[in-house]
Amino acid sequence: MDGKLPACVIDVGTGYTKLGFAANKEPQFIIPSAIAIKETAKVGDTTSRRLNKGVEDLDFFIGDEAFDATGYAIKYPVRHGLVEDWDLMEKFLEQCIFKYLHAEPEDHYFLLTEPPLNTPENREYIAEIMFESFNVPGLYIAVQAVLALAASWASRSIEERTLTGIVIDSGDGVTHVIPVAEGYVIGSCIKHIPIAGRNITYFIQSLLREREIGIPPEQSLETAKAIKEKYCYICPDIAKEFAKYDSDPGKWMKRYDGSNSVTKQPFAVDVGYERFLGPEIFFHPEFSNPDFTIPLSQIVDDVIQNCPIDVRRPLYDNIVLSGGSTMFKDFSRRLQRDIKRTVDARLKLSETLGGGRLKPKPIDVQVVSHHMQRYAVWFGGSMLASTPEFYTVCHTKEDYEEYGPSICRHNPVFGTMT
Amino acid sequence: MILLDINNRVVEETLTVKIKNSQTGLKNESIDITVADFDGVLYHISNVNGDKSKIRTSISLKFYKQLQEHGADELLRREYGSHLITPEPGYNVSVLLDLEDIPQDWQGFVKKLGLLKRNCFASVFEKYFDFQEKGDEGQKRAVIPYRDDETLYVEAKADRVTVVFSTRFRNEDDVILGKVFMQELKEGLRASHTAPPVLFSHREPPMELQNTDAKVDNNVGYVTFVLFPRHTSKATRDNTINLIHMFRHYLHYHIKCSKAYIQSRMRAKTSDFLKVLNRARPEKATDKKTMSGRVFVRRD
Repeated sequence: MDGKLPACVIDVGTGYTKLGFAANKEPQFIIPSAIAIKETAKVGDTTSRRLNKGVEDLDFFIGDEAFDATGYAIKYPVRHGLVEDWDLMEKFLEQCIFKYLHAEPEDHYFLLTEPPLNTPENREYIAEIMFESFNVPGLYIAVQAVLALAASWASRSIEERTLTGIVIDSGDGVTHVIPVAEGYVIGSCIKHIPIAGRNITYFIQSLLREREIGIPPEQSLETAKAIKEKYCYICPDIAKEFAKYDSDPGKWMKRYDGSNSVTKQPFAVDVGYERFLGPEIFFHPEFSNPDFTIPLSQIVDDVIQNCPIDVRRPLYDNIVLSGGSTMFKDFSRRLQRDIKRTVDARLKLSETLGGGRLKPKPIDVQVVSHHMQRYAVWFGGSMLASTPEFYTVCHTKEDYEEYGPSICRHNPVFGTMT
Repeated sequence: MILLDINNRVVEETLTVKIKNSQTGLKNESIDITVADFDGVLYHISNVNGDKSKIRTSISLKFYKQLQEHGADELLRREYGSHLITPEPGYNVSVLLDLEDIPQDWQGFVKKLGLLKRNCFASVFEKYFDFQEKGDEGQKRAVIPYRDDETLYVEAKADRVTVVFSTRFRNEDDVILGKVFMQELKEGLRASHTAPPVLFSHREPPMELQNTDAKVDNNVGYVTFVLFPRHTSKATRDNTINLIHMFRHYLHYHIKCSKAYIQSRMRAKTSDFLKVLNRARPEKATDKKTMSGRVFVRRD
């Protein structure tokens, strides 16, 4: 928009907050969603305990600085994607805007994100904070999954831009499989899988613990994480992959060099099977978690089968990845192959059951992988907030003052008519 | 955080990452970032003609022309020297960083780039501080429309420099909070004797600005700082400029923080009231039984 300052896009997640200005490709800041406050050990509930005199309410740190501050209590205002503590959230946003973005909130439109199944009350709360405390001129609250879908447009042609698809969002803690139909989340069909980045790290750590002896114990998690990020990939077939490694170890085995953080002594780790075994737990969860044995591809198929029948085909056709744990090489290819197999088997079965008289139309399965996958949600937000259409769907301050916070309960879908 | 940072973190961090990457021998990647700052300032960090090793940081200020009249160009030349290049179209100032020729003191240089906006502003103040030092009273007042409907006036007298900010409150409540806040600021003089006197007037411009086109409006406030030679001397002027050019945002930041504070008090109070209300709920009359199953009957 000419003459208008870029909108601010803030994606507050459970672990990390991504913030920046619209129209950029990457968020300007990625900070932990943590806040360090001074808490007095008085009795009473948390809200009244925190009331101080003077300027003590400004005495807090957010992000990485929160962990460096001594004598403060570290709190996480967001839990499981939902805001739990609004006092802290307001403070958190205060510094996000003034300290990190260096923006006068009165001059910028804001795009905030919410998890699927966020309550309308929460939207009202956030609207109250943004409009009343910060005097923002306009606000839009977008669903993360929809933004992730929008982010996948970057790799596709204009005709293929739809807001219907399955979003597989895998971060550090949990993986979500979220079906979206024409910009609206099908809430009843969402599934969560207790397997994500952290589990892979733990699994690699346990593999290393059995074999490698040189790693300092306090650095083993760090080492496992570094190996995961640097060397891991998804293989098409584990048995063949094992054979490949055994026949030519020199080609496939890697070496990881680290140094002890205390003694500065270098140590070396051989990286072998964990290169493909680590991420494999998405497809064979029983490797690491005896309680949960359903592979990711199976879950995705289940989710789609739960959805209304008229959207199933488009959903199979647009499976979008988002989040850091989907960045493994060939993740999309493997997922696509596995889902395709399940779908084809089902079609075949129905054909035989029908006695060969009915020939079902084959179903296209497509898993979309793109460059912006890691910060897909933020990128989708940044992209949508830089279109002129964004300013027409935003809730404005005038509307807020006229009708009250309830206007933010609904945020219109936009971006489809490009 | 009581005072706002004056440097732009995005600019600093992006450039630091770029320089560090280049020093460790990683391939330079292309860059194109647009970020905003206070006062409607836009920064644009990009490559020159697609050459990935040349990073250009441009800044656009709506009121750069006014700043130029007060010697912004000279000041920037003094600060950035040969790194200054012809401004990118649509922007006012551009500074070049060549990754193949990283300055020795690159941390200092990056820091300076983060202060680009502050340095643009500094020219006005430095000029008028100099006038005051020389005792030059005849100079016209400087008028900088630093935001769309907010203006900054600087005037030099032989014994003082007066800086007047006009600021607009978007919200009725903000006016009240602003007034209270300014009252506190006036009190500040008592606590610290070296603080400059502050005057605040709501609606009407102060005497200095009488008979000018200064706006008279219900949502406008005027803040006047009187800076004495103590503040404008060569040793302290940098600090004075740092503080005073951010004053408008300092004020608005604190108004917002006060609102957040009031709201957290209200939340605490609400939860207290709810507790009282819950206590007042009449208890349901249930038969209280003893261990053996007999029931007490009240006789009163």
